[in-house]
Amino acid sequence: MDMSKKSIAVCAVFALLMGGGFLLCVFLPKEAYSDSERRRLAGRPVLSADTVQSGRFMSEFEAYATDTFPFRDAFRTVKALTADGVFKRWDNNGIYEKDGFLAAVEYPLDEDSLNRAAERFEAVCKKYRTKGAKVFLSVIPDKGCFLAKESGHLSMDYQAFEKKMADLCPFAEYIPISDLLEREDYYKTDTHWRQERIVDVANRLLQAMGAEPEEDYETHTLKRDFYGVYYGQAALPLKPDTLYYLTQDAMERCTVYDGQNQKEIAMYDLERGMGKDPYELFLSGPLSLVTIQNQAAPEEKKLVIVRDSFASGLAPLLVSGYSRITLVDIRYMHPDVLGQLVDFQSSDILFLYSTLVLNHSDTLK
Amino acid sequence: MLFSSITFLYYFLPIMAALYFLSPKRFKNTALLLGSLFFYAWGEPGGVAFMGIAIVQGYLAGLIIERYRGKRAGLYISVLSAGISLSFLLYFKYTDFGIRNFNALTGSSIPLPGVSLPIGISFYTFQIISYTTDVYRGEAAQKNILDLAAYIAMFPQLVAGPIVRYTAISAALKDRRHTFEGAAEGIRRFVLGLSKKVLLADQLGELCSACLASQEKSVLLYWLYAFGVALQIYFDFSGYSDMAVGLGRIFGFWFPENFNYPFISASITEFWRRWHISLGTWFRDYVYIPLGGSRRGKKRQLCNLFAVWLLTGLWHGAEWNFVLWGLLFAVLLAAEKLWFLRVLEKSRVLSRLYVIFFVLISFLLFHAGNAEQAFGEIGGLFGAGGIPLASAEALYCLKSFAGVLLASAIGATPVACGLWNRALKQPAGRKAAGVLEPALTALLMLVITAYLVDGSFHPFLYFRF
Repeated sequence: MDMSKKSIAVCAVFALLMGGGFLLCVFLPKEAYSDSERRRLAGRPVLSADTVQSGRFMSEFEAYATDTFPFRDAFRTVKALTADGVFKRWDNNGIYEKDGFLAAVEYPLDEDSLNRAAERFEAVCKKYRTKGAKVFLSVIPDKGCFLAKESGHLSMDYQAFEKKMADLCPFAEYIPISDLLEREDYYKTDTHWRQERIVDVANRLLQAMGAEPEEDYETHTLKRDFYGVYYGQAALPLKPDTLYYLTQDAMERCTVYDGQNQKEIAMYDLERGMGKDPYELFLSGPLSLVTIQNQAAPEEKKLVIVRDSFASGLAPLLVSGYSRITLVDIRYMHPDVLGQLVDFQSSDILFLYSTLVLNHSDTLK
Repeated sequence: MLFSSITFLYYFLPIMAALYFLSPKRFKNTALLLGSLFFYAWGEPGGVAFMGIAIVQGYLAGLIIERYRGKRAGLYISVLSAGISLSFLLYFKYTDFGIRNFNALTGSSIPLPGVSLPIGISFYTFQIISYTTDVYRGEAAQKNILDLAAYIAMFPQLVAGPIVRYTAISAALKDRRHTFEGAAEGIRRFVLGLSKKVLLADQLGELCSACLASQEKSVLLYWLYAFGVALQIYFDFSGYSDMAVGLGRIFGFWFPENFNYPFISASITEFWRRWHISLGTWFRDYVYIPLGGSRRGKKRQLCNLFAVWLLTGLWHGAEWNFVLWGLLFAVLLAAEKLWFLRVLEKSRVLSRLYVIFFVLISFLLFHAGNAEQAFGEIGGLFGAGGIPLASAEALYCLKSFAGVLLASAIGATPVACGLWNRALKQPAGRKAAGVLEPALTALLMLVITAYLVDGSFHPFLYFRF
């Protein structure tokens, strides 16, 4: 190819990319929501003298143009593959992959955050613990606990983490569960643990809290692929997870009440399971207040779980031991109002949080 | 508007190119000017009017200076015009700095007006001063204000240089050719610069942020930070200059080169012949030589050197760390002029290590928010405060950014370019390049787009100046 042909080819390629890109940007319909990133994309900014003068139109347009760029997900995958394959980066946007498992770099251990979480738990305890009620604490290690050491990524000292939390919460009996967990107990593409693999964890908790464990579950499969939250963040082409859920006779006799929206819901919300985040199958996802009543419980035994989303998968496995389980999430509800909405009378309290939340406890109200 | 943004690449540039190339020849400068004003207004809507005033001032001064050239009035107008331009710059850039230091010295508490710096003012002010000075020295003044405005406001070099002297493009402003060869050359250069910025500088910026955020400071972490900062500034700024030169070529202009592999220099003197060349030559031609340069004895030469580097430091920013940065180079350059250059010539390896060491130190000064932070970071390089040699975070950063650092280290030398040029000398290489160049252009643009789509906002470091 002579010089002029080569030059024409370079110009043509560039013009095609820029011109074609422009036409696609302008004429392709825009998405308002990114399923893979699980977030609302920037919308078209309002054009007015005021927004232009203040520069708001321009900055919002930059975000809009980037968010709604055609084939955004495919480009994000190209970036992730380049970072991994060409630059040999150990993580992409703080997410790394090992043997098909995705995890977030969770480091370092933030002692101030743990102190804050413990203060919040103590405040709840002081205000609502009733006479004779027991208080428990359990820390759920994130997937990085098992993955990071294998892969050489930054890893917190999880033993120190648990000990620190146990020491900071002398008002609660600490129930260790990390020895029962391994990386396979977590979804490959999501932060959460797999319900079908944590029956032993549920039984350890039940036993420690003085309730009867349950072994007899029937496994069901959600009939769709499960691409978890890390999948979208990592943007790597990985295989999806399969989501299983467990049932037993006692569950069928339970009633589940969504105190946030004041309506009855299902233990396993299949409609949400087919929605944007299939993990919302469990107790309808992130709700600030959920109550599970089990009429068939052997005795009048109540439990309040102050929790994060990991408890949504676990709580159904605890129902056999309690006549009522109330789940409250103090990330969405201030502890001061709990007394108006939750009956703490004769209820034991379990603080059940993952290291992901405890290490960033500024989300706790 | 940033060159490394979806808005620029996929909205502004296609429209600008279409508008420009479809315009008849006599309207091309007007098209370029309108596009440039829009480009500037996008990032600085309030700054367009001010830039317009600066342009009109330069235009009128040029005409009057030409008329009175050789007479005392010509000199006065030239000095007055430069004074007006500099007073704008002084006001916007140094008012808060001056008041802050006045308050500190006198114990008074004059409130800071919080003057915001218009984007690119340092660059276009120097262009206007060079224009009026060159007219005074004999260059013909531009009679068409739109053409002069197109020169000063030309978007490729408006906000971060290179500082294009009027004489460098005055002929092209009047008449220029547009060829596929020129455009292809410009595109290659633009994509190369964009790659430097997006694929290297921004990732090095991530390394620097990780180092700064780390709670486990260690000697290794500070060295990683120092290398990260130096390479980030280099790829950020030289990438921008490449994009400016490339865009200039696409639109038919030849802009001066601004960088020439500064990290391979064997002395600081050589480093500054290879780093921000357009600024160095500007200070040489409009400050150092008018002050007498080296013609009035060693003592005067050293005074001139310190004056130039004090101004160079201040030009980069109104903070004491920039002053110290300039003075550090003044000391090093003075030492080299007096005797050290002869010592450096004895060892190729040691001389380069010396340059890299002082460049790293200088960029820590340059990059820090203030002098105190800079000294803390420089101390960290040597374990000040009893910090450990390495930490888990430092080792992780080293592992995670090893590829980026290696690519950056190679990219900062002429090795890759040399290999490419050598391949082009072979018939097979030339043949392969015919396919590879368009393919590489497309591939790089796709990868860059992928990084931009995935990433957040990464303003150019040199926008601060």
